[in-house]
Amino acid sequence: MKGKRIAAAFLSLVMAAGLAACGGGGAGSSAGSQAAPNSQAASSSAGSTAKKLTIWAWDDTFNVKAANEAKAAYAKIDPDVSVNVVSMAQNDIVAKLNTAFESGNVDGMPNIVLIEDYRIQNYLKSYPDALSDLSDVTKPEKFMAYKLKTMTQDGKVYGVPFDSGVACVFYRTDLIQKAGYKDADMQDLTWDKFIEIGKAVKAKTGKAMLSVDPSDLGLIRMMMQSAGKWYVDASGKADIAGNAALKEALTIYKKMQTEGITVTASGWDAGVAAVNGAKVATAVNGCWYASSIKKASDQSGKWAVASFPKMTNVANSVNATNCGGASWYVIDKVPGKDTAKDFLSKTFASDTALLDSLCKDISLVSTYQDAVSGQNVGAPDAFFSNQPIYKNWIEWTKKIPAVNYGTSTYDIESKMTEAVQSIVKGASVDDTLKNTQTEVEGILSAAG
Amino acid sequence: MKKKTLTALKYLFLIVASVLSIFPFFWMIISATNSAREVNAGKLTFGAHLLDNLANLFHSDLAFGASLANSVWIAVITTVLALLISSVAGYGFEIFRSRARDRVFNILLLSMMVPFCALMIPLYRMFSAAGKAGFAGVGLNTMFSVIVPYICTAFLIFFFRQNTKSFPKDILEAARIDGLNEPGIFFHMYVPVMRSTYAAGAIVTFMTSWNNYLWPLVALQEPRKRTVPLILSAMGSSYTPDYGMIMAGIVLATLPTGLIFFFMQKQFVAGIVGSVK
Repeated sequence: MKGKRIAAAFLSLVMAAGLAACGGGGAGSSAGSQAAPNSQAASSSAGSTAKKLTIWAWDDTFNVKAANEAKAAYAKIDPDVSVNVVSMAQNDIVAKLNTAFESGNVDGMPNIVLIEDYRIQNYLKSYPDALSDLSDVTKPEKFMAYKLKTMTQDGKVYGVPFDSGVACVFYRTDLIQKAGYKDADMQDLTWDKFIEIGKAVKAKTGKAMLSVDPSDLGLIRMMMQSAGKWYVDASGKADIAGNAALKEALTIYKKMQTEGITVTASGWDAGVAAVNGAKVATAVNGCWYASSIKKASDQSGKWAVASFPKMTNVANSVNATNCGGASWYVIDKVPGKDTAKDFLSKTFASDTALLDSLCKDISLVSTYQDAVSGQNVGAPDAFFSNQPIYKNWIEWTKKIPAVNYGTSTYDIESKMTEAVQSIVKGASVDDTLKNTQTEVEGILSAAG
Repeated sequence: MKKKTLTALKYLFLIVASVLSIFPFFWMIISATNSAREVNAGKLTFGAHLLDNLANLFHSDLAFGASLANSVWIAVITTVLALLISSVAGYGFEIFRSRARDRVFNILLLSMMVPFCALMIPLYRMFSAAGKAGFAGVGLNTMFSVIVPYICTAFLIFFFRQNTKSFPKDILEAARIDGLNEPGIFFHMYVPVMRSTYAAGAIVTFMTSWNNYLWPLVALQEPRKRTVPLILSAMGSSYTPDYGMIMAGIVLATLPTGLIFFFMQKQFVAGIVGSVK
């Protein structure tokens, strides 16, 4: 008797599960085709405003915090709209966006999403209607040119620029002085001068000038962009073998290692450990690296910043470049796009008070032109020898050459990493780059 | 003499191998008691920050506590359903004869070859449509959508079928002669005898579900519905990650599978050996 009851319960369970699965599958084929026009209709009429907005971003200490402050600011403007900020890993956001855009189904997607500048071209090219045109929100004259370039397609601006990744030389004033140089020597450097100082630092203090990470080509990318070049040209075609700026960057990269002024630090954390453990005299990186340097509070007052060194042998190379950075985008088909646009236009796209308080709270270096006059932006930083570092960074950001990041920066870079390693080990620059050019052309044609 | 050196070499190899496999765990536990900066500096001794790390973990906006509860629910329900359904299937495939049996079974095994990435977008569309069609609680962003794709796996059915081969058929005959019906035979005869197989199946299913990353990532949208691996991933994405806190979270995330394995170790080994026989 008992056995029968168990069997009956079990059978009904299996049947229920089967039913649900069939129901799901059946509905998928029939409702899928009906739902698409419905959701489009919704986004163009009734669904363009919403009482609830969702924002996806990564890094609780930076972007997520910024979104939460914007949420607080917007609550004063429109208290009826509730904003939900979700913190997620950047790779997770990318995976979710890819699935949603690829399936053409934006269920559960946020209204506003943060996308890295290196990746945005891929979304704009592969999924042309996925993101909203924000030309009426983002006023081009208000933002830095290099940032706008990454998010502009066919004359339309698709995002609201956020943080600058302006690069600079962070240097230990005490070690540079021990090597016989002054702060004045560090201003508007060239790489030749940088290496010369590095040799003196090595000889007099025994410390390396710089740590290099064989798996991260950030330094080469920065050098390239300082001359207005990238792995691809303005039209998005591979530009490796004939790229003079890339060649010069590789030559400098290799020279620093053969001159013995570098120390190898594999991985991000090893690099931070080298800086915090006083093993190197400088760090050349995006401004956001300051938060890692500041972790060593015992080194307060010993650091300073100077503009990025330029390459003497390349025309157009300037003392400014970029590393990283992201911007805000609106997903077009998610109901509430007008509310999302309103949110962005009244916060990140215009609110200088918000941007100035973000400078204090998360060390934001804004790409909004007027942010430079903010009170916190002009304040001296005790850790960095009382320099007004934010003001410097914003001034340098204005000079960053605009480049086309193309669609596949990260895929290209995985090929380039191998190439750079063989060049450092002694392979010919021209031959290696010629091979890489072919491989990169393959990647780009596969990406479409 | 020669024998002694050989033994010494053997032990040396085993010592190196155990250090290699245990060191990451050791480091994880050590790191959970240190501050982020100490972790970065490579400190290898126990520190005093365990409580701070745990407090940070549970007070962070990422709702780690809720994610633990989600993971437990999802893993337990998946395991129970998967064992029930797959064992019935495995039992049926072995005990009941029919002409199409092996053909059907081969097709089932073929489904093991399809990588999950290929199923992801169809599954996503399917659950999204199910949710839109008005079946409450079955669409995307529900526990249901994370559980259902895993309650019946070809691997588990295969595993149960192989083990059923060693199930003494005499019991079956005897029970039938005594008049026990088929479901009764399954629940009263088969299940108690195959305890160790169930234990091994439970551990494997629980672990897979507990560590599952890609599908929950895609299917679950709301922050409070996320599972532990998703939260750990979000924590690690910071430009300045708090490794002490993350390691404390990873220790907590490792505990359930570790405990289950230790308590069921005997049955697990017996179950795996049984399937080889």
